[in-house]
Amino acid sequence: MNHVFQYRLASSFQDAVAGLAELGADARILAGGTDLLVNIRAGLMAPTHVIDIKAVPGIDTLTYTPETGLSIGAAVTVNALMENDAVQAHYPLLVQCAHQLASHQVRNRATVVGNIVNASPCADLAPPLLCLDAAIEIQSADGARQVSCREFFVAAKQTVLRPGELVSRILVPAETADGQGGYKKLKRIQGHDLGIVGVALWRQRDRVRVAVSSAAPTPVYVGEFAADEPLASVQEALSAAINPIDDVRCTRDYRLFMAGVYLRRLWQEVV
Amino acid sequence: MMQVQLTVNGQVYERETTEYKTLLHFLREDLGLTGTKEGCAAGECGACTLILNGKAVNACLVLAVEANGAVIETVEGQADGNTLSDLQAAFARHHATQCGFCTPGLLMSIQDLLRRNPKPSVDEIKAGIEGNFCRCTGYVQVIEAVLDVTGQLPQKGALKHV
Repeated sequence: MNHVFQYRLASSFQDAVAGLAELGADARILAGGTDLLVNIRAGLMAPTHVIDIKAVPGIDTLTYTPETGLSIGAAVTVNALMENDAVQAHYPLLVQCAHQLASHQVRNRATVVGNIVNASPCADLAPPLLCLDAAIEIQSADGARQVSCREFFVAAKQTVLRPGELVSRILVPAETADGQGGYKKLKRIQGHDLGIVGVALWRQRDRVRVAVSSAAPTPVYVGEFAADEPLASVQEALSAAINPIDDVRCTRDYRLFMAGVYLRRLWQEVV
Repeated sequence: MMQVQLTVNGQVYERETTEYKTLLHFLREDLGLTGTKEGCAAGECGACTLILNGKAVNACLVLAVEANGAVIETVEGQADGNTLSDLQAAFARHHATQCGFCTPGLLMSIQDLLRRNPKPSVDEIKAGIEGNFCRCTGYVQVIEAVLDVTGQLPQKGALKHV
């Protein structure tokens, strides 16, 4: 690395948040490292300390019960999520979206929580967690609090996390288990790439939810619709909810157009 | 500085390292194991792929101190002296390597793939190497080498070369 920092291995969440309280903005939490180490190398972040949370007992635990739903610990990798039998059986949309996230090697390190905390507009796991109404469990020196995934993202790469806080788990409720859906993501190449625009659609019985990546400063939850709602009104809600930009990968107009195309195709396939 | 101990291709190493050094640089600079290459250093190209505690990872995205206590397999572990592994020999037969820079990463990704899936289909091979960029071969020779080493070699010309 071209930037000098110190490494701490936290033994518990208390230990990690104590480190954050002591070091303030100079410290960064290290889990998978697939965003953090790239950002440090690129000079976008310059922490004096990284606090590795992977040794916190139970942090890589992924559990599902029909009563409580899914609990995803902060060190659960994207591959561990995809390979989990309960996730495949009860939350297939999470697996479909995870398939679109980077490459096999990266998914072996990258964590589900990290994908959310990094708060990239193109986070592939944000649309399914928005549809599934996940809750984000946050730890600080004052204890734990929970925030809805739909209130977690504030702006591009910004979340409601306050100084001294870290995310310990993502909780997916039992009541959104056993839905079905799909995720369509426009990329420059067929292989792994950042999304140009992505649309996730989830259906459970007669209700349908839609969320979008790479089409606004944050991932966007469009809303819930009845399965017999006319597609045109869902299309209208989608267009009103997103606000894409022109950039090096694509124009705003094309993103708006393709979001509509993907919504139509998903509607035809799933609804 | 921190003390780390790790096992690479069956050999135990104990060294002091700076805390901000990647596992990739540690292997190359401190242990002299230069088979693992640095391409993009951002987890895109897969040239630094190795197997860490049984999982294929990008060594550029792991700190050496994070690998303390780990068991690591690198491309140096594939050949036995001057005798190539079956996979390496298949690469040679099928011209699956040209400039050779991506080859160690591809070999490690495929070693990991074949452990998970001993007889992968063409699509499964493509998914298995999606994290490895090769700018020379167009991948088809790589896929043919994997089909060959898994006893599924297609008729000549069955796969379209680019």
